[in-house]
Amino acid sequence: MKKDILFTVPSYFRDDMDILGYRFGKGEKSCVVLGALRGDEVQQLYVCARLVAFLREVERDGGILPGKSVMVVPTAIGFSMNAGTRLWAPENMDINRRFPGDENGSTTERIAGALFERLKAYHYGVQLTSFYQPGSFIPHVRMMDTGRQNPELGCEFGLPYVYVRTPRSYDQTTLNYVWQLSGTQAYSLYAGKTREIDENAADQTLRAIIRFLNGRGIIRSETTPGHTASIITNDDIVTVSASSAGLMRRVKFAGAHVRRGEQLAFLMNPCDGAVREVLKTPVTGMLFFVQDGPFISEHSPVFQVLVSQKG
Amino acid sequence: MAVIRQITTVASVAMPIEEKWTVRRCRYMPGEGAAGRVCIATGIHGDEMMGQLIAFGVVSRIMEQQEHLHGIVDVYPMLNPLGLDIGERLVPASTRLDMNRAFPGTPDGTPLESVCYQLVQDMRGADLVLDIHASTQNKSELYEVRLNAASAAQLAAQARALCPELIWIYPDKTAYEASLTGALCRLGTPAMILEADERRRKPQEIAGRVVEGIFCKLREMGLWTGSAVEPPRAQEEIPTIRTQEDVLRVTCEHPGVYVPEDCIGEWVREGRILGRIIDALEGVVREEIKAPCAGLVFSQRSYSAVYPGTLIARLLKRQEEA
Repeated sequence: MKKDILFTVPSYFRDDMDILGYRFGKGEKSCVVLGALRGDEVQQLYVCARLVAFLREVERDGGILPGKSVMVVPTAIGFSMNAGTRLWAPENMDINRRFPGDENGSTTERIAGALFERLKAYHYGVQLTSFYQPGSFIPHVRMMDTGRQNPELGCEFGLPYVYVRTPRSYDQTTLNYVWQLSGTQAYSLYAGKTREIDENAADQTLRAIIRFLNGRGIIRSETTPGHTASIITNDDIVTVSASSAGLMRRVKFAGAHVRRGEQLAFLMNPCDGAVREVLKTPVTGMLFFVQDGPFISEHSPVFQVLVSQKG
Repeated sequence: MAVIRQITTVASVAMPIEEKWTVRRCRYMPGEGAAGRVCIATGIHGDEMMGQLIAFGVVSRIMEQQEHLHGIVDVYPMLNPLGLDIGERLVPASTRLDMNRAFPGTPDGTPLESVCYQLVQDMRGADLVLDIHASTQNKSELYEVRLNAASAAQLAAQARALCPELIWIYPDKTAYEASLTGALCRLGTPAMILEADERRRKPQEIAGRVVEGIFCKLREMGLWTGSAVEPPRAQEEIPTIRTQEDVLRVTCEHPGVYVPEDCIGEWVREGRILGRIIDALEGVVREEIKAPCAGLVFSQRSYSAVYPGTLIARLLKRQEEA
């Protein structure tokens, strides 16, 4: 294992912030795994830390195949993790909206630029990412529809779903989008929680990355078989939103199979407990995303249901 | 004739604990007839307070000179009231997104998208929408009118009567498409961003200048016959950024505490010291920031901590240098 400093942000008040990359094997730049780009991506950091520990053992046992190399970047935003902010606080900016970056630009553009310069050389790119809303996803692989995506390859992670999403205008400066356009096969993995460690989802995500590295002939390691993945798009997802506000009591959680008309959650008056609304699923399917914050505003998307295929 | 004043809730979303995210509009209109409609919106970013002072200045003058109002002026002072209340740029709580990246919104979308949709529906069809912003944290700006390149051909000449110190035509297509002004322009409603500094010592003076510009524009449009400054004469040039090549971004290379010189609005020569980065631990100046070329300093960082890459100033290059 080699530990590289990919970029350093010098600081006046604090220690310098080094962005570290852990490299395994020698040869072609086969795959890079990136963890936290936001200060609250604890789960993403955790999965990377466990992946580094795992690859260290694989390398020791000669399991990195000749001519292949893997790099893991656990976090690019240690400053914000220590300070407890999601964004890069001095600029109030999201680094994942600054790609491809600019080596002569602002601090976040420089971070993004320096990172991207190192990441774009890899054939496969895996980003562990988070959703802006608090909640739980079914672990899945996600990529944007840029015309260059390869969802079939995404099935090799062995997660149940590969979600190809239509990008919006503001997605065009995210790492996943820019990575794909530069020729890297880029995948985003949603690893359950964000701000806390979810052991089961972390295990599942870790196994998925190992399975992918095995499948692509980069490492040799024992691994359990994965799911036969389904490729889904925006058209397969139905959002259930609240039409009132209040405290939410869920009765169904991510991963649950639900039948059309089944109760998902109760929205309560936050002071007297009266039920204001019963959220029901309009379709039969599986709960793909569940918002897990206690407070719900009117119009909030609370559930995403993956519609069951007829047949 | 007395002005009619109507306060209307134009957007509303219920929040969890017995409160609504409400956007209110106050309509000022003459007793009879209307020569047009202008909307003045402020507070999309909760850390930008300048719009409050400007909106107050506009409605105060309307109420003082009521007989001179001949059209509708709609004022929306608080688009992001939660953010304004706690000084947070984004829409806070579970949303955590920039409101000015969520337009035109959708009626059945998220709380943010729903509010954005309701706002656009209320403003569309106006003769002009002015979206007032303020310089972001730790930055001073001249009074600017900002237009996107896509709408500049139609709007650049119209911006002159607002009497800005600078007109900036910027090409940022990605951010523009999801902004309030971008969404309205696509719907055929002329819309511009006004940027006004609130970091300087007397924000009332800056606000006063913008208020004068707004009344000058209202008079040009035939909505106002009361007091207003004269518009710039035809031969009077307003510094204008037409392409990104006209702008020079000055950044620093050392971390530390930036101590600015007061250069905002100054046409500086190459080599003019813009500020210094100091290190209080060792008592040394880490970096002296100089103007790399001659130009107009239209944006300048204030006294604050900096990192390598922090934007210190933006210069409009002199024409011969651009």
